[in-house]
Amino acid sequence: MIEAIQLSKIFKDKKRGEVRAADGVSLSCQPGEIFGLLGPNGAGKTTTLRMLATILEPTSGSATIAGFDVRTQGQQVRQNIGYLSGSTALYERLTAREMVTYFGELYGLESSQIKSRIEEVFTELDMHEFADRRCDKLSTGQKQRVSIARTILHRPAVLFFDEPTNGLDVVTARTIIRFIRRCRNEGRTVVFSTHIMSEVELLCDRIAVIYNGKVAATGTLEELRAQTGKQVFEQVFLKLIGEEDEE
Amino acid sequence: MSDSNSTSPTPLIDSGHQKSRILTILKKEFREIFRDRRTVMSVVISPLIITPALFALMGTLISGQTEKIKSKTYSVGIVRSEEAPQLYKAVQAIPNFKFTTIEENKAENWVKDRRGQAVIILPAQADSALVHSSVPIQILQDPGKEESLAASSRLSQAFTLIGQQYVKQRLISSGLPGDYATPFHITEKQISESGGAGTFILSMMLPYILVVSAFSGAIYAAFDQVAGEKERGTLETLLVSPASRSDIVIGKFLAVVGVCLLSSILSITGLIFSFTSKAKSFAWLSQGGLHLSSAAIGVTLLVMIPLAVLFAGLLLAVSTFARNQKEAQTYLAPLFIFVLMPAMASMFIGTDVGKSIALVPVLNASIIIKQALSGSYDPGFISIAFAASAVYAGIALFIATRLFHKESVLIKA
Repeated sequence: MIEAIQLSKIFKDKKRGEVRAADGVSLSCQPGEIFGLLGPNGAGKTTTLRMLATILEPTSGSATIAGFDVRTQGQQVRQNIGYLSGSTALYERLTAREMVTYFGELYGLESSQIKSRIEEVFTELDMHEFADRRCDKLSTGQKQRVSIARTILHRPAVLFFDEPTNGLDVVTARTIIRFIRRCRNEGRTVVFSTHIMSEVELLCDRIAVIYNGKVAATGTLEELRAQTGKQVFEQVFLKLIGEEDEE
Repeated sequence: MSDSNSTSPTPLIDSGHQKSRILTILKKEFREIFRDRRTVMSVVISPLIITPALFALMGTLISGQTEKIKSKTYSVGIVRSEEAPQLYKAVQAIPNFKFTTIEENKAENWVKDRRGQAVIILPAQADSALVHSSVPIQILQDPGKEESLAASSRLSQAFTLIGQQYVKQRLISSGLPGDYATPFHITEKQISESGGAGTFILSMMLPYILVVSAFSGAIYAAFDQVAGEKERGTLETLLVSPASRSDIVIGKFLAVVGVCLLSSILSITGLIFSFTSKAKSFAWLSQGGLHLSSAAIGVTLLVMIPLAVLFAGLLLAVSTFARNQKEAQTYLAPLFIFVLMPAMASMFIGTDVGKSIALVPVLNASIIIKQALSGSYDPGFISIAFAASAVYAGIALFIATRLFHKESVLIKA
């Protein structure tokens, strides 16, 4: 469902010169799987996801999502994905319903489809109470549910989550974790980026450890433990990126 | 789709009957724009309520001041009036003045102590001197007091008229006709087709007000739509939707053009209401008559279209380039100069200008509005100005679109 081969992205920075935000990233992810991108801040996780979601154009390498090329079939790729980031926000002057309807229309759904999907999704996420309230009047948890509704309205086969629990309280973060797990159970392909070890252990079927724009290792939790000879995942991670704990 | 895995859920696919994405974006932008109090204030409330209210307030103040000046009776001292009973009689006939005969040595204190606004000092035996020669008349005034200056000015005018009567009497007594020294009798006739004084004031102000309102009305909307979306983090969500970047930029661009045009239309409405209102407070605007043809209004609206496109392109380019709304605001000063200078220049330039002016953005549109209001159309000038404005607008839109396709500008690294 997702195939990325040697994806690289070079930014030109006035002060730092050429910055290789992603450097030959290859990954493969199948339906019904949660694939974790684990790395510290600035490792290249967001850049990789943005290239896969066609927000950024790769400098080199290739990738396909649901069979569509991210370079040449951007619109078809975007039609098949849902993208939720911890930094994305809502249109504050729209109501929750207007916000979700807007994206339904952008996804090319018919009015009747949008109405019935909103009914389904709002019921599923328990959103009816605040459906017609402006987004700037919603609590953080309610806003997050609107974002989820926007992400899944068109039933995407592939979902990208870029540090979705960033800055959220434990209760709201748990809602997101449950939602991601449900996406996998429904057979969707999920790519989940985070720097939080416990979330990786909790959710991911396979993991790519990213450091300095490169994939340091890929495998299941057990495979990575076996590869490093460490049990505590934090130690596994540190060993993989060459920053082994001395204690 | 080449993926062979059949276990993944099927996404709801584009029905193909969907509304245009540009239209969807435009509709949403309008909805947001008119829920933004700042835009509603600058686009709707300001031209429809605040501008007419300011005109009414100015009218009330002006008419109040005029009435006050008209009905004001000035107290004026006069020195040696008893030596010129004939002249004094003519002076006493000046309306709204009360004269008191005073001694010459008290004259200055009379004004300083505010016992009166001015003092007339007549020469000795003025009546007999006036039969054949000129006499010096001095008016004492206090230049620091507005009322003293007004009284002095009115007295000077009154003495000029009294002087003309003396000339007439002298001519008649010399056996010449009374108007011997007046070779011309000039009359002025105002013709309504070219508009009255009200039309003149409107033609001076309207281009400036329209240009400024179209530009300023769209600032918040344009800055909110890209720089604001970047700042709030909603732009990424939009970029990951199936809408192409061209769809997004065109949808947003049309929304800004719409706001510019709406702002212009509402400004015209507010001004026309002010200039045609029969209320006393607005009378000063249409003194001397006002003539606004539908053709003038039509041309004014038409000329606003390329101007709105130019402004929208410029503002959207700035909004796209800036990382946030605050940064966008810092680019406003040079933009305002670009817009305000030509708009202000149009207030001082007549309608009869060379064709090269038609190439100057903003000024060309302002001159066309002026020409339309004064009833003098120059098709050659209008054609060149439209073509030039369309080219500038196209360039502005091109820049905005190019910027919107530039990752480094659009996406925070």
